[in-house]
Amino acid sequence: MTTATVLKIEDLRTYFYSRSKQAFIRSVDGVSLEIEKGEALGVVGESGSGKSITALSVMGLISAGPGVISGKIGFRSDRIRKNLLQDLEDFVKLTTRDGKIMEVSKDVVGWGQNTERAMKKVRGKEIAMIFQNPKSSLNPFTLVGKQITEAIRLHTSIKTEPEAKDRALTWLDRVKIDSPRLRFDNYPYGLSGGMCQRAMIAMALACEPSLLIADEPTTGLDATIQSKIVDLLAELKSELGVTTMLISHDISIISRLSDRVAVMYGGTVCDYGPTKEILSTGFESKHPYTSALLASIPSAQNIKEKGYLQAIEGEVLDTINVPAGCRFYSRCNRVTEKIRERCARHEPDLREIRSGHKVRCWLYFD
Amino acid sequence: MKHYSQMPGEISELSDQPFWKKGDAVDLAYVGYGLLIVTLVVVSYLLGSFNLLPRDPQEINLGLMMARPGTAGHPLGTDFMGRDMLSRLIVGIQAYFLPGLLAIFIALFFGTVLGVVAGYRGGTFDTGITYFTNLVDSFPRLVLILLVIAAFKPDIYCIMLVVGFTNVPVVTSLIKGKIQFLKQKNFIEADVALGLPTSTIILKHILWHNCRSLLIIEATLGMAEAILMETSLSYLGFGVQEPTPSWGNMVQSGANYFMQGKFWPSTAPALAILFTILGFHLLGDGLNNILEGKGNT
Repeated sequence: MTTATVLKIEDLRTYFYSRSKQAFIRSVDGVSLEIEKGEALGVVGESGSGKSITALSVMGLISAGPGVISGKIGFRSDRIRKNLLQDLEDFVKLTTRDGKIMEVSKDVVGWGQNTERAMKKVRGKEIAMIFQNPKSSLNPFTLVGKQITEAIRLHTSIKTEPEAKDRALTWLDRVKIDSPRLRFDNYPYGLSGGMCQRAMIAMALACEPSLLIADEPTTGLDATIQSKIVDLLAELKSELGVTTMLISHDISIISRLSDRVAVMYGGTVCDYGPTKEILSTGFESKHPYTSALLASIPSAQNIKEKGYLQAIEGEVLDTINVPAGCRFYSRCNRVTEKIRERCARHEPDLREIRSGHKVRCWLYFD
Repeated sequence: MKHYSQMPGEISELSDQPFWKKGDAVDLAYVGYGLLIVTLVVVSYLLGSFNLLPRDPQEINLGLMMARPGTAGHPLGTDFMGRDMLSRLIVGIQAYFLPGLLAIFIALFFGTVLGVVAGYRGGTFDTGITYFTNLVDSFPRLVLILLVIAAFKPDIYCIMLVVGFTNVPVVTSLIKGKIQFLKQKNFIEADVALGLPTSTIILKHILWHNCRSLLIIEATLGMAEAILMETSLSYLGFGVQEPTPSWGNMVQSGANYFMQGKFWPSTAPALAILFTILGFHLLGDGLNNILEGKGNT
């Protein structure tokens, strides 16, 4: 771990047990990511690729039900340095028979307490999160301002209500909410979706967290508001240097805001490197999935060149019966005869093909 | 009379206006009448407990049995032992007030705890609690109360204990439903991610901000329920025992003279029961409509 690394996820596996199939749904299957201080890491992929589950695992929000997490999430800031998944595996017992998982017994209470203990000083204070659907992320019966001051008084050295209000108003102003004083005394229903998201961002940043996780922050907003929220995030990033993990399926947002990108497919990272290498159309040495993803962006240029809108053939990976070979093999259009055998049989690992750029594809390994 | 809107309308109930500007005239009239009844009940209770009565409710006057209402000194007449009806009516509320509050407290407290555990934790807890509430619900309430009376003694507190516990399932399912509905909106998850302690989330964000009107409504209905229950039991002879007056045993003892044309000893307490229960129900309904919104149901 270099000194500037804020978050280091190593081999994170988040599985959900399916009782009827007697198997695990492998939502996140061996993800390793690193976020440096001050950088923005974009995580991109289609629905069901495990983006959000990765974020929720980091926040310790996978508590209920048969969720099982293994791996290591190292978190390090000026104040705290710990593994967020410490001892978590001890609370789960697996019973297997004939290669099938017969039962997963989970000590839910112990798991919850352990998570609480690990996350107590981290949630909100060190890692803040903003969600999709901002309108439903605010308590409908509490004043917007009160919700922000509550967070401020909980996590910062400011403990009195008037001071907290000052700070909340400063931040509401900073996220360019229209007439902050008025909005402070509004209920969330009185705010538009974009305003709610601005209020959420103010609430998250007012406690000055070391890491901000934005889980699809623009989903559920219309296009003009989306671009304004993206502008705001870009501005906050350049002004304050907030370390961000940005999750989205919208490639344009990712390419605009992030320094590095991790492309996720079927619960694994398949392409990981600088944004300008991965998300630029000209650059050829990238994972076939990334290329296909870029080709399927519904942009005017794409449609003009081909005359139609290209989609990726096939369906998203079945994360219960994960095939033996490469996860993208069945949909890949760049398999050559030379490597076909290897693609079908063996799963490639994430290897560095250029400094700072890792790919999980046999095409580039010799 | 209970029709709750499980999914409250988003905007109508959330306006910044004070609640008395939000409701229909009808709802406000309901609430006004209900509050009047509640005030009368509280005043009667205080009068009774400080012994500020027109006459001694236990004073037997055999020279003035079954006096008509309007007799000098007895505005509501006397009963078959010459006791003053008005004083007995006022004292009668003593039988309900504290026991009724006990029943409400038990129902709300245990119902809320179980509802929060079932709704917030979910999973096995939810299944277990649902089985338990179904079990309690499936038992005929009157039979259960009679069993308790037979096993212990016909004490009003005993009865109200049972009334309270048999009301727990209603409150549990209400709170559980509300929390499950709230969980679909992800502000609870956002609260957790913000690092708020679980106690703050449950007590402040869920119960105080989102469930308080539900609980107030349930409390008013619980009082009506308690009075009605005691009346039924008294009529069967298992309620509050003579000579302590309660509206139920006043109706029961007066009923023998009803056919002789002497209607007042039973009619006065019967009307008192009617208007009081109506008051509590209308208060609950009015508050429900105003605070929770009319909804679609």
